[in-house]
Amino acid sequence: MTSYRLDKGGLIDRDSALRFTFDGALHIGRTGDTLASALMANGVTLMGRSFKYHRPRGVITAGAAEPNALVELREGGRKEANTRATMIEVYDGLVAKSQNNWPSLNFDVGAVTSLASSVFVAGFYYKTFMWPKSFWEKIYEPIIRRAAGLGSASKLPDPDKYEKSYAHCDMLVIGSGPTGLMAALAAARQGKRVILAGEGARLGGSLLNENEEIDGQSGFDWSQGVIGELASLPNVTLMPRTTIMGWFDGNIFGAVERVSDHLRVPDPYEPRQRYWKIHAKRAVLAAGAEERPVAFGGNDMPGVMQASAMRTYANRYAVAAGRSVVVFGGNDSIYRTARDLKSHGIHVEAIVDSRKDAKADAAGVPVIRGALVADAVGGKAVKSVHLTDGTHINCEAVAMSGGWSPIVNLACHRGKKPVWDANLLAFLAPDNGEAFTVAGSAAGKMLLSECLADGAAKGAAGGKAIEVPKCRDEAFAIAPLWWVKDSHGKAFIDYQNDSTAKDLPLAAREGYSDVELAKRYTTTGMATDQGKLGNINAIAILAEATGRTMDEVGTTTFRPFYTPVSFGAFAGPFTGHHFQPVRKTPLHDWAEEQGAVFVETGLWMRSSWFPREGEDWLASASREVLNTRGSVGICDVSTLGKIDVQGKDAGVFLDKLYCNTFSTLAVGKARYGLMLREDGIVYDDGTTSRLAEDHYVMTTTTANAAKVMAQMEFAHQALFPDLDVTYVSVTEQWAQMAVAGPKSRATLQKLVDDLVMTDETVPYMAALEVTIMHGIPARLFRLSFSGEHAYELSVPADYGSMVARAVMQAGEEFGICPYGVEALSIMRIEKGHVAGGELNGTTTAGDLGMGKMVSTKKDFIGRMMAQRPGLVDPNRQQVVGIRPVDPKDRIRAGAHLLKQDDKPSMANDQGYITGVAWSPMLDMWVGLALFANGRARHGEIVQAWDGLRGHRVMAEICDPMHFDKENKRLHA
Amino acid sequence: MTERTFNRVSPLQDVAVQGRFGADKGAVGVTFNVRHPMSILTVIARAGQGAATAAALKGYEAQWAGPDQWFVLAENRGEGALYRELKERLAGLASVSDQSHGRVIIRVAGPKARAVLAKGTPVDLHPDQFPVGKSALTQMAHVGVHLTRVGEDAYDLSVFRGFSESFWEWITEQAEEFGYQVI
Repeated sequence: MTSYRLDKGGLIDRDSALRFTFDGALHIGRTGDTLASALMANGVTLMGRSFKYHRPRGVITAGAAEPNALVELREGGRKEANTRATMIEVYDGLVAKSQNNWPSLNFDVGAVTSLASSVFVAGFYYKTFMWPKSFWEKIYEPIIRRAAGLGSASKLPDPDKYEKSYAHCDMLVIGSGPTGLMAALAAARQGKRVILAGEGARLGGSLLNENEEIDGQSGFDWSQGVIGELASLPNVTLMPRTTIMGWFDGNIFGAVERVSDHLRVPDPYEPRQRYWKIHAKRAVLAAGAEERPVAFGGNDMPGVMQASAMRTYANRYAVAAGRSVVVFGGNDSIYRTARDLKSHGIHVEAIVDSRKDAKADAAGVPVIRGALVADAVGGKAVKSVHLTDGTHINCEAVAMSGGWSPIVNLACHRGKKPVWDANLLAFLAPDNGEAFTVAGSAAGKMLLSECLADGAAKGAAGGKAIEVPKCRDEAFAIAPLWWVKDSHGKAFIDYQNDSTAKDLPLAAREGYSDVELAKRYTTTGMATDQGKLGNINAIAILAEATGRTMDEVGTTTFRPFYTPVSFGAFAGPFTGHHFQPVRKTPLHDWAEEQGAVFVETGLWMRSSWFPREGEDWLASASREVLNTRGSVGICDVSTLGKIDVQGKDAGVFLDKLYCNTFSTLAVGKARYGLMLREDGIVYDDGTTSRLAEDHYVMTTTTANAAKVMAQMEFAHQALFPDLDVTYVSVTEQWAQMAVAGPKSRATLQKLVDDLVMTDETVPYMAALEVTIMHGIPARLFRLSFSGEHAYELSVPADYGSMVARAVMQAGEEFGICPYGVEALSIMRIEKGHVAGGELNGTTTAGDLGMGKMVSTKKDFIGRMMAQRPGLVDPNRQQVVGIRPVDPKDRIRAGAHLLKQDDKPSMANDQGYITGVAWSPMLDMWVGLALFANGRARHGEIVQAWDGLRGHRVMAEICDPMHFDKENKRLHA
Repeated sequence: MTERTFNRVSPLQDVAVQGRFGADKGAVGVTFNVRHPMSILTVIARAGQGAATAAALKGYEAQWAGPDQWFVLAENRGEGALYRELKERLAGLASVSDQSHGRVIIRVAGPKARAVLAKGTPVDLHPDQFPVGKSALTQMAHVGVHLTRVGEDAYDLSVFRGFSESFWEWITEQAEEFGYQVI
């Protein structure tokens, strides 16, 4: 045991006793502890094993950048791998496990890789597993996969809820330390809507960790006063436990609020996490600065940590990292560390200052100037350090400070690169304008007084200023300190990925000197901490190795997310059956009563078939077809898009949209229309009816309803803005049912008010406004997709199921049955009507056999492009019918068509089958196909070759209309 | 013409069950109320008739629904009555389409109504930005929503009928943490 709990001090509740386990061992933590501080308080400093070498690791930070102390938190469906022990608040019942070790954390067999580490240099995998090539998939990859990866994912469903929410503010302040508090206060006192987001459980930022004095009070007391004032203001929202993780277009910030991560299980109805999108008019980044490590031998040993982290553990958590400490660095902040540790009664053996001329006040601690720590000596804990001047000092912990890197990540998320400052030895944020400014130590302000003033100024944003409190400052001066080359042991740059200082010159020597290439070759900065600690050291080493300056090397790209975000937060509540909304038709209840099996069509649920006892889908659909063609059937067609088109120029507008003409359509009639894309390919089809001189109702296919609406918006706004026309979707207003079959008229006649239905009063393609069932308004269309004498009846949606039941009752004496989209599809193939398989985004009106519909007398969308030679080539594939030569054979959709004696090849391909159905009327499989110059080849025998299913049959090309070629039934 | 009514079945009839649900934190945070049956029309001004149409809609409950477009609402009207009335009144000025059955209006009210809506819409609902009477076309939980603030703490959410059940499930779940009542 090296680390321990101090007798007094800290922001912890010593009366609390929170029981938790780590690798099965029971420990007690205190309210206010993180898992890291609680483990240290219990003498546990070994918390994980590194990725490649399985080296023993402890904490190195006290915050978000932690690369070492990664643990599996919780169990079962709540298990979460790679959680940072420094960010986990301890709760009663917490269960955590170490990762990447076998059989145990203390004795890890994988550590033998360390013995062979001279071969495991950067690029090892690339170089080693290149050949033989055949080994890759079966041997190398599985081995690497087993060795790689930290932690393990739960395969159980996550039982907790996640939420999404939006927020809006005039000023978003990111970070709640001295800078952030002043910025929030300045904006809040102007009456601005302010959101103050802090990463930790408690707001206050560095003032919780450091020994400061502001306005004659302790920094902590001052911070709590300011937070109290902010909390009292109605225009301020405080968001603790919230990480701003990305900056996006429109000054929108992504944030994750860890609502319940500090609890054993979330309270009832509370989410585990909430993903926020914050729309900020302005934002201030006050995220502070991260202390850099120094690359010396054994700088990854448990007990070696950031000097600021060691201070934080002592000041905030009342935890000593060891009984005796060596403090090492090249800037003045190490003296503060020594003083703070000493004030807590922790023995500081020496301050090792790399600068010969350092002058800061050491408070009586011995200072060794101009020397460096070359190696930490020990194994699972530090025993001593060797200095470059030959000195050997026994100690249990090493505090190191290579300098400070302003946390500029968010300010670079939209692509601008940070800028090197040679005096501060730090990259500073780029200028993003006034909508997103950077303040305090995130902006390179290293003195507390500067931070308070900068925060106040950036928060005031040119408005009324607030008074800046007086404070005590620490001096700050710095010299470069990146890598101690005299080290014997491994000097780590990226701890989690085990990349060392020596890997970087190696990468440069092998040609990967660009910072982005060096990153990928060495994996430096590719771990979950994304290079927060060591990347600047890496850039400095690369700069030296290649004779470039820091800004010539530059940084790698900063991308969201600032820290890892769980998938649950992104998914939010949209999981399981909430993954996408369900859209039900007005006849859904009726169809359910009738025993419908539903099928998803986009978001819609459509009734697919209505099985009776013992029937499979084919038996059911076949019966539905026979029933409909034999007497009468009813089908829900409510999903067809319906668009109300009104206005003086409605007809003209439709003439522009469709390739055929609608302005000449008589009131009370419907017409089939074909719509082209700008490029001349068919876009959509459907019937459009004229209800009044200036009022049409258009129908679209189910799939294209929204796209056609968008096409209309575009056409009207951009192409024909002078037309006086309006259009609005009325799809959902109407329940629409097809009533088809020889008895359809007799059935509907019973419902329609005051109208004797004859071929004269309701002729083919009639579109009438009627009432049914003693006054319910309805629209009656004589349309047919089935080829039968048929109608479509529309009624306001709330009456839909009631009317469908009434139709069933009216048709009972004829043996009416409901039919679904399967039967619909069989009947359309029997009749050769095109649908999605043929309207597939590659076919022209001519290909579909509708070339004659295309008007030559008017202009319309797609007219010019449809005349291109390639689109009028007679050898294009055209819609034909297809049926097996032997009626017992089955043809299949997707099969390619070949001349009788040809071998399958692209060159020999003549087309393919777009849809097939078992025709109960013809007792055989029939289909539609796209076939080269097909209309001229009816009667030709071809091979229907289905390579995918290993199937080949001989088939005959024929007219698409397989059934009732004279359309006698339609007009019966 | 006499106004006739028929028995209209709301798509939420079996779903929006009255009662109190979710967390019990004393007073309910949110109340839900399905406004049904309603008369709902889309009114879109013909070219150049925006101002005249707006003037002709004085006295009606009209909610903005786009440039020169409104939803006009009424309760307790017979089937098609409001449609016929406005079609006549706005002849030559605007196109009128009946949407009474095509849309479902859910009234969300209470001290936590805004917090619930913020879980779905990116629209800023601060009273300075979105005062009583203001409407917006937005999307919540992947569903298009016409949103209107009808009171200090009350909003009307109008969605396509077909999505209403799915939307109801989502929005009531978002209100669970505050405790909600269906009235």
